[in-house]
Amino acid sequence: MIKKIYLIGNPNVGKSVVFSRLTGVHVISSNYPGTTVEISKGLLRGGDEEIDVVDLPGTYSLEPTSPAEEVAVSLLKEHPKNEIVVINIIDSTNLERNLLLTTQLIADGFPVIVCLNMCDEAGHRGVHINTEQLEKLLNVPVISTCAVTGVGIKLLIDRIGDAVPAAGKSFSARERWVQIGTIVDQVQRLEHRHHTLREILEDASVRPFTGLVMAAGVVYASFKMVRFVGEFIINRITDPIFINIYQPILEKLTSHWQENGFWFHLLIGDLIGGKIDFKQSLGMLTTAPYIEFGMVLPYIISFYFILSLLEDIGYLPRLAILLDNLLHQLGLHGFAVIPILLGFGCNVPGILATRTLESKRERFIAATLISIGVPCVPLQAMIFGLLGKFGGFYVTGVYLVLFSLVLILGIILNRALTGYSPEFLLEIPPYRFPPIPTLIKKLYFRVKGFIVEAVPVVMLGVLFVNMLIYFRLFDFLTSLSAPVIHSLFGLPKESVIALVIGFIRKDVAVGMLMPLGLSAKQLFISSALLAISFPCIATFVVIWKELGFKALAKSALIMLTISVIVGTLLNLTLL
Amino acid sequence: MKKMSLVHLKASHKGKVVDILGGVNLQNRLMSMGLYKGREVGKLSHIGLRGPVVIKVGRGILALGHNIAVKIIIEVV
Repeated sequence: MIKKIYLIGNPNVGKSVVFSRLTGVHVISSNYPGTTVEISKGLLRGGDEEIDVVDLPGTYSLEPTSPAEEVAVSLLKEHPKNEIVVINIIDSTNLERNLLLTTQLIADGFPVIVCLNMCDEAGHRGVHINTEQLEKLLNVPVISTCAVTGVGIKLLIDRIGDAVPAAGKSFSARERWVQIGTIVDQVQRLEHRHHTLREILEDASVRPFTGLVMAAGVVYASFKMVRFVGEFIINRITDPIFINIYQPILEKLTSHWQENGFWFHLLIGDLIGGKIDFKQSLGMLTTAPYIEFGMVLPYIISFYFILSLLEDIGYLPRLAILLDNLLHQLGLHGFAVIPILLGFGCNVPGILATRTLESKRERFIAATLISIGVPCVPLQAMIFGLLGKFGGFYVTGVYLVLFSLVLILGIILNRALTGYSPEFLLEIPPYRFPPIPTLIKKLYFRVKGFIVEAVPVVMLGVLFVNMLIYFRLFDFLTSLSAPVIHSLFGLPKESVIALVIGFIRKDVAVGMLMPLGLSAKQLFISSALLAISFPCIATFVVIWKELGFKALAKSALIMLTISVIVGTLLNLTLL
Repeated sequence: MKKMSLVHLKASHKGKVVDILGGVNLQNRLMSMGLYKGREVGKLSHIGLRGPVVIKVGRGILALGHNIAVKIIIEVV
């Protein structure tokens, strides 16, 4: 009786795609090693039985060399070998390297079924593998699949029952490579191909000069595209819906309500010039949905669209190579660029992705830098939305402040913390061109995740703030903090609420700042402070869970200190 | 035959790994990624100022941090 199916394979061979195909559970997959940092579980339904399927983080070998690999290997040993089936997923375009793990699994007596994934890409690259011959040589079932399109998955499911432990000899790793060499020679035929444009681009992007030029171009174009697509959605889709459709309906429905009543205050908020103003009314049916759907969501869509594209093409590991030097100065190495980029969407997945970094020291530095200097989409939406009207100068300014802060703080942390930075060692995937439906699906799941998590919190946040205002607790709280906020940072005392509320979610803070009518300088300082000071509570909890309370406390202390210094400095130096 | 570290091998030249001057841990890690004594590799590029070295091993591409690359001794082919 099979109780569990494990998916195991080298990093970036498409385990998560096969997993989605088998279970129907969607997990994020990208074209770089180490996308899967959490263990996903799902069910494979066949006839009337259900089997647990576990998607393990990528590993090169059964003798683990990193924490993620240790997790994969220890999970594999949880159940007796006769109760599990191990699906070993292999990248057909790089058979040789993948077979080390396969031969180890077979030698250890696991019931293995080999899934030769990415068969279409292998074909394109002139790699032909004789599946039957490989099956004979390995003595386990071998199925050729292309998980992205679904080819071969049914056959894979049908043959799961055929997986039995095969007799395999024990070899040392060195002997194993010799054994693998002879297997590959017998089953693989390589067609000679001329360099394609893709390969020329692949090479150019890792050379010092062409690589940097390409990186600058890609980063600039991505940033421009995020803004362009975001603004397009706002101006052409969401704003017209809110102003032309939603607002008249809302005004009609509430026209006979008493303007100063409790419910009116809670749901609609204050009327500005006798009308609803989505940016300033601050009601649960006005400003709350407008922030989420009219200001933040458009940028969530555009950001994750561009990020998903870069991820699936496989550009990010190349960016990691180019930035390795710089990141070494901050006590990190090149691969940290991936958690950092994810952090620009939302700090939470960014900090989770630091699991791919080896040492605790590195993870602490990365998590602290992300929560201080990497603004998430809601915060960036505010920077664009509120500060944008004063000109690009201010927008760029906030990014520059944050960027220099990351550099300075990174250098200090790298000098001050004991330990060392591990070295960069990364496999670089080929460029792949993701099918559009795959891209859209990934975008859909990320956007859905945002809506599910953000909307309820923002609603509650606005409710909470409205209660404070209605019961006149607001004034009391603001006057308490006025000395710091007003004299040090030059902000009106009401903005303290925005900064405190930012702890719940940055988007709620946006709603609080909008009605205050701040000047460009004040908005500039508030944006910077919102980014630098405490991240939202979700990020807080994630740092706690991932790195422990001590690390969180240290990190929080750094945030507070820097907020006070930067806020004061900006207030003194800006005109 | 001339021996040198991967860092000193010129870009687009090939070599055979003759020694890895690292601990067992590094040796194992590299071994599991297909880089071991006797393996032929081709250098693709080297990001200057102590940046990573990018090499081709078999059908795959590996990026090695500078401090790993200096430990890999090759014989020019």
